[in-house]
Order: sequence, then structure tokens, then C-alpha cells
Amino acid sequence: MGDILEVIKTRKSIRRYKPDPIPDEMLDKILEAARWAPTGENYQPWRLIVIKNPETKNEIGNLAKLGSGSRMTAWYCLGEMQRRFEEIQDPVRRAEVLRFMYSGEVSEFAKQAPVVIAVIGTLMEGSVDVPYDLSACIENILLEAHSLGLGACWVHGPVASTRDAAKFKKILKIPTGMGEYKVIAYIALGWPAEARKHPRPKKPLEEIVYWEEFGRKERS
Amino acid sequence: MNQVEYLNDMLVRLEELLYHELSGCAAWKVELVGIDFIQSKKIKGNTEEEVINNCIKEITGDGLVKSMTYSIGGKGILLNLKMKDCVHLPKEIRLKNDSIKPYICPIANMILDQLIEKLNYETTYLANLDINDKTGECKVKCAIYETPDKIGVVSDWGKTEP
Repeated sequence: MGDILEVIKTRKSIRRYKPDPIPDEMLDKILEAARWAPTGENYQPWRLIVIKNPETKNEIGNLAKLGSGSRMTAWYCLGEMQRRFEEIQDPVRRAEVLRFMYSGEVSEFAKQAPVVIAVIGTLMEGSVDVPYDLSACIENILLEAHSLGLGACWVHGPVASTRDAAKFKKILKIPTGMGEYKVIAYIALGWPAEARKHPRPKKPLEEIVYWEEFGRKERS
Repeated sequence: MNQVEYLNDMLVRLEELLYHELSGCAAWKVELVGIDFIQSKKIKGNTEEEVINNCIKEITGDGLVKSMTYSIGGKGILLNLKMKDCVHLPKEIRLKNDSIKPYICPIANMILDQLIEKLNYETTYLANLDINDKTGECKVKCAIYETPDKIGVVSDWGKTEP
């Protein structure tokens, strides 16, 4: 059994992609990894829609831009975004980053990704804990893609609001009833065209791990 | 039995549960809460002003809120709502006391819904809900985007008050 800690630790969210296509055998491995995620009661609620059509990806990118931009414009106007990015010292650079965020351009990248995978889950009778199962499925996809040298990004924001989720379902012809399918996210996938400074700083173990009971820091 | 109190108590339980499941993202999921009332009223209007005023007439006329005013600022994308003695105020106070920042305003949702439904606005976002339990006043800041190019039109909302 191989230790996958290095794969986990070196994975980054990649939002810029080369136009090169993803070979089918790689895509199949990624979809196979998704299929083996842990799932409550072995329910396997996940359904995956693989999207390569540029028009569909453009529609998704536009919806993502609208969703993020509508929220971030308001957050900027309330002063919240400025606080979030105050660690950027250069005022010109900070202004550029903020404009990139509140314009929604930050979330448009589905348009450039060779493949987008929509992750949805059936909510039919008998389903339990669907969002958790779907999240595990997404993590499997991200890790397998990274292990193959691909870049990927888990995108939830554009389907986070109820109206946007309904628009997303309409684009992909997913049944729209609230008791039918949950759209949890999509994953943009492609060959990385960026080398990010990641991994971003992570909290040390001593800050996030308790032993035996909440708040106890002494190792047992 | 006080039916308003009964229903507010149920809403509090549901809002607590939703917040517990989704944390801050809960606020993004609830934009349709409250819209059935206003949709049943067949609101008419061809302008922002007409639609909002007609919504306010129905909302205050049916006693959901005692008094209500609005203003538009922030280069046209900020809708400020100011309400006094809303039927939902007790639920907001209870949530605040339970350390959850109130995040559902059914009254604001009604107006935002009608801007989308009647004037075909591209999208809206309830940005901030400020409850004053001492005065019984609520101040709500909403972003209203008539067209996609309104996204990114920024200004300082701290300078505008209804």
C-alpha cells in the first residue's frame, strides 16, 4: 500500500489551464476514483456530468462570475473584502486583486478548463448525508487528478444560492425539484498553466488537534 | 394560541439547524423564504420605484411590518430597507441571543423577488441585516443588479443610510 501523504500535501487549487485536452484514459481513472469514495449506507448518491462543450462551459463560467461577483461587490462595498486582503502591502497590487475578485472574474475559469465535472447527488427516498458523500467524492477526484499531473479546482460558490443552483440545473438539464437532485459543486480540470506559491500556510497540528476531549492539548 | 409566536419559534429552530449545517453559507440558500406571500399579491409596476412601493403597500397593509421606508444608493445597486416592528422581529432577537447573526429576512426577500420577477433584474443579494432589539428597527442592505454589467460597480456603502 502506497503512502499518499505527499499527493495530499502537494495538491493545489488550479484555476488556469493549458488548452490541451485530457486523454480519455486519464479522465476514466479520475471518474473511477470518484466512484470509490466512502458513502453512508453504501448509497452512492453521486452522479457526475462530464462537460467538454465550450458553449456549456461558457454558460457555467458566466454563472460563476455572476454568483461570485454579486456577493463580492456587496462585500467590497461593506468594506469586508478590503479587510480580507489587507495583508497585500502594495496598494496597486491590492486594488488589482480586489477588482479581480469583486468583478467576479475570479470565478470565470470554467470557460478555459478542457473539462468540467458537475457533481450532483440524488435526494430520492432512502438517501442519507448526501452532501458529505459528495464531498468525499470530490476529494477523490481532486487527489486522483493531482496524482496524474492535472490541475483542478473545486467550485461551490456559483451553485451556492438557490436561484443560481436552479440556473445551473437548467443549463445541464438536471431535474429542478428540491427533492430530486442536489448540485453541490463542479470541478474544473485541465493541465496546469500556473505554478502557484501554494501550499498556502496551514494551521499547525497543535492548533487543531485535541486529545481525548475538546480543548485538551496534551497528547495522550 | 399566538400563531405568529408559534411560527416564529419554528422558524428559529429551522434557522438554527440550517446555520449549524452550513454556517455562513446558510444565508445564500434562503432567498426564496417569504416570496410566496408577495407572489400571491400580483404586484404591478414598470419601474424600481413602482414595484418597491407596491410591495411595501402589501407588506404594511397586511400588518407584516408596521412601517417601512427605502432608499436607493451606491450608484444604483444598493437598496436600503428600514423597517419597524416586523412580525419576524422576535425570531431575529432570539437568534441573536443564541449567538447566530440573523440571516433570513422574508420581507427583503419579497422585494428582491419582485425586482427579479417583474423587472427581470439579473440577480440580487441580501448583504447585511442589522437588528435593533431595543428600538424594534431593522436595517437591511441589499445589492440589486439590474444587468450583469452592474456587477463590480463599487462604492462605500458605509456612507449611505436610508
